[in-house]
Amino acid sequence: MEFDLKIIEALAPDQASLSAASKLTKRSNWPRLEKNEQQALIWGECQGSGSNPYRVVVDRGDHGYKCTCPSRKFPCKHTLALMWIAATAPASFAAAESSPEWVNDWLGRRRKTTPPPAQPIEGAAAKSIDEAARTDESAAVEDVAAVERREAAQRKRAEDTRQAVSAALDELDQWIADQLRLGLSGFVDGSSDRCRRIAARLVDMKATALAGRIDEIPSRLMALRSEERPDAAIRELGKLVLLAKAWRSAPDDPELKRLVSTSETREQVLANPDARRVESFWEVLGEKIESRRDGLVSHSTWLLDLKSATPQFAVLLDYFPASAGRRSNAFAPGDRFDARLVFYPSRKPLRALVAERMGEVTSGAWPDFSFGTAKDPLAGHASYQDAAPWITDCPLMLPPGAILVDDRGTGWWQAADDPQGIALPIAGAVNQTLLGLDLAATAALWDGARLDLLAAQSGFGRLDLS
Amino acid sequence: MRDCWITGGATFDLAPTAWKTIAGGASPDEQERRLLAIAAQALDVALRPAAPKTLRRRPPLPRLALPMLPERLRPLLRAALKHAVDARRKTRVVTLVASRGFVLHPMDWMPVASDQNSPDVYAPWIDWQASVEGERHAPQEKLTAENWDEFYPAARRIALAEMRRSGPASARLLVEAKASGEPAEVRLALIELMRFGLNPEDAPFLKSLSADRSGKVRELAGRLLARLGEHGRSNDGGPDDPAAELAAFISEGKSGFIRRRSIYTPAKLKSPAQEKRRAELFETCNLVDLAARFSATEPEFIGAWQFGADNNADMLIARMVAASGSDAAVTHMADALVADGGKPALFVLHLTPRLDSRRNRALVRLILKQANYLNAINLAEGIDAGWLEWDDLSNGSALAALRSAVAGNDDAMRRGADDILETIGFLATATTAAKLIDEVVAAGMPPAAPSLSVLRLNAALAEHQSRTDT
Repeated sequence: MEFDLKIIEALAPDQASLSAASKLTKRSNWPRLEKNEQQALIWGECQGSGSNPYRVVVDRGDHGYKCTCPSRKFPCKHTLALMWIAATAPASFAAAESSPEWVNDWLGRRRKTTPPPAQPIEGAAAKSIDEAARTDESAAVEDVAAVERREAAQRKRAEDTRQAVSAALDELDQWIADQLRLGLSGFVDGSSDRCRRIAARLVDMKATALAGRIDEIPSRLMALRSEERPDAAIRELGKLVLLAKAWRSAPDDPELKRLVSTSETREQVLANPDARRVESFWEVLGEKIESRRDGLVSHSTWLLDLKSATPQFAVLLDYFPASAGRRSNAFAPGDRFDARLVFYPSRKPLRALVAERMGEVTSGAWPDFSFGTAKDPLAGHASYQDAAPWITDCPLMLPPGAILVDDRGTGWWQAADDPQGIALPIAGAVNQTLLGLDLAATAALWDGARLDLLAAQSGFGRLDLS
Repeated sequence: MRDCWITGGATFDLAPTAWKTIAGGASPDEQERRLLAIAAQALDVALRPAAPKTLRRRPPLPRLALPMLPERLRPLLRAALKHAVDARRKTRVVTLVASRGFVLHPMDWMPVASDQNSPDVYAPWIDWQASVEGERHAPQEKLTAENWDEFYPAARRIALAEMRRSGPASARLLVEAKASGEPAEVRLALIELMRFGLNPEDAPFLKSLSADRSGKVRELAGRLLARLGEHGRSNDGGPDDPAAELAAFISEGKSGFIRRRSIYTPAKLKSPAQEKRRAELFETCNLVDLAARFSATEPEFIGAWQFGADNNADMLIARMVAASGSDAAVTHMADALVADGGKPALFVLHLTPRLDSRRNRALVRLILKQANYLNAINLAEGIDAGWLEWDDLSNGSALAALRSAVAGNDDAMRRGADDILETIGFLATATTAAKLIDEVVAAGMPPAAPSLSVLRLNAALAEHQSRTDT
């Protein structure tokens, strides 16, 4: 069963979806478009508004589909766009011998039903694919006065936000002083309620990003042993003080704005001429998908620059509502691709967007990072902290080492040539097999108290540890 | 300062002078906040976690004798392992991969310390799992009484099993010399190895174990003796003789017009209590003792047993034969039931760990050919991997049954077919696996269905081999 535009029109939940889909039919939105004739499948990766691409697969046989985006519309605009491309430009799809694992995974979990009738359904008359295409072509023409009005309104909104955030930070300062006066012991015990209350105030006063960060403090504290929590509380609250001070001195600084109130849009970052651009081969080190207390799920994909002589990282970070359900991973750990990344402007750029993907890269070992004779595995962390002391999680590439255990069963990473020196405790349970492997290089995140392992290279090849 | 903040209060007076210079000149609250910011930064960049003195390192994970499964095949392997729901099925996947000359990546699968079923090549990993500290042994050395303690249990078990196959007497002497010094659990595992190359010369040693401290060891030795035709208990026929009690549950009759011959039929039971007692007796008695109650040899007794009359009794006697029957009784029962076919042939499944590879394969072929009880194939233990040819599948009704289960709407049938496909994935040659995938996909199974994962792995392993060959 092939697609024709009538079928797409019938499947679309509404006219808005069709219009949105029409904008996504450009080839540049799709770094990957593939098909498998034998299985009657088409799939692709769409670079949507998030940092991580959305993966879309459509069964041409029965019009079953799956997209990893959090949209509540079924089918979503990405699915419709994929079908649209299949209907109008089938040559865009490269033939693939076998389907990738994520497609297989969907097929495996899928319950086959009888093919839904792709006939016009009630309300379908209200949708028109021609209109959607027209909408795409007709750029709205605004008069000069309207543009000025809009810009003035934007400026006013920005000023209002700045004032609200400034007031929010005053309130935060007072709150921190209160915690110190009342004692951090009580703060640690009651951090859940206390952080929730101030976070709610900050949301009201438009310091949304900061509120989200404060909401996560209790869970970060609880992940540690009780004797470590006061120090961790000092670190967390001290960083907030630094961040608030930094924002006050430069409220328009994009990095600080992002950490305190709201982030730029994808388009703004891509259009920013100052944003750092790096074209390289990237390896997916691992993914972290964490449910947050504010009802969002943060989805971060950590990447390693394979062409750089020193370890360089990037993170693709997205947030989506937890109510959207569990999302499939955007990448598999170990995936490699050739891409141009655009970094969000910051003192130590980490967060990035994939501007363009040029194709896959064959797997292999990591570059031979000369770790030198530096005995401090946290030197990289210190350099991040010097530049941006409000950062909590820093990526590190650790030199040759091994994982050891203490008598409580906690895992520790220790450098191979420094058995009496520094050891870094590892977050969570450690796979016992790791204890017998020599790690030639280990990529991990350090949050000041725990090491969160991402991946490693060993005599047994690449180890996925995320 | 830290303690002061923990309990609550101002710390300005306690701060170092340099910090005071930065933090001073502001309101008391602001001073505290500034000190807090400095302290946070100091904690982050100037201090390092204090490593406990008790950090322990495990010995390096040994390299195994076979190459690692190629990276390209690891996704298929992980899919197959994910689909294998229990340890037994996972071990089958591991065995299949080993039969094609590869071992798994340790992060994909590791045997547990108590593992006795995974392929021998994994012995160094099993011992690594079991070891807490200690030096590595030299596995190339021949096991002797002198270097006994240098071997970890799994390596020792494999070395002994090998010795039992090549020179059973020297292995027995070693077990005789060393077993008594081992704990009961290890002793049991060592005595269990006597089943390899079991011969009458082992009888005196096994008899000596009747005085062993462990009941399980005594029972195992008794069963091994029974396999050699040695009666375990005195057949006094008294009320304490369990063989006599069990014999009372069996009716002896005659059959045939010209040549009258004995037949043995399970007696009709009157209560669940009787059923329970009979099961206990079948478990504790040895076949040789039971046969002797009827003045018959083991093969005569098995040959005259009326399979099909009482399902439970058939199952119990099959288990009894597997546990304590002589090799002759085991092969006699397997050959006779497989030749007759039908449902009773399924009782041979209890015997598969003791049957040779030819008989095991004959049983699998029969089950596939009959196709009435295809699911029984999942119960077969100890059968080789990767030998089932396409003809074995297509000659009988198995393929048709699988196709119809896959194409049908009956969920239970489809689940059953999934299990069978997984088992055949283990048994089949790569060509058979590839053909079977095509066959069931044509019948309507989604090409990427998880139940095809073992078959896919099987087929891909051959593709890889042919690529490396060329």
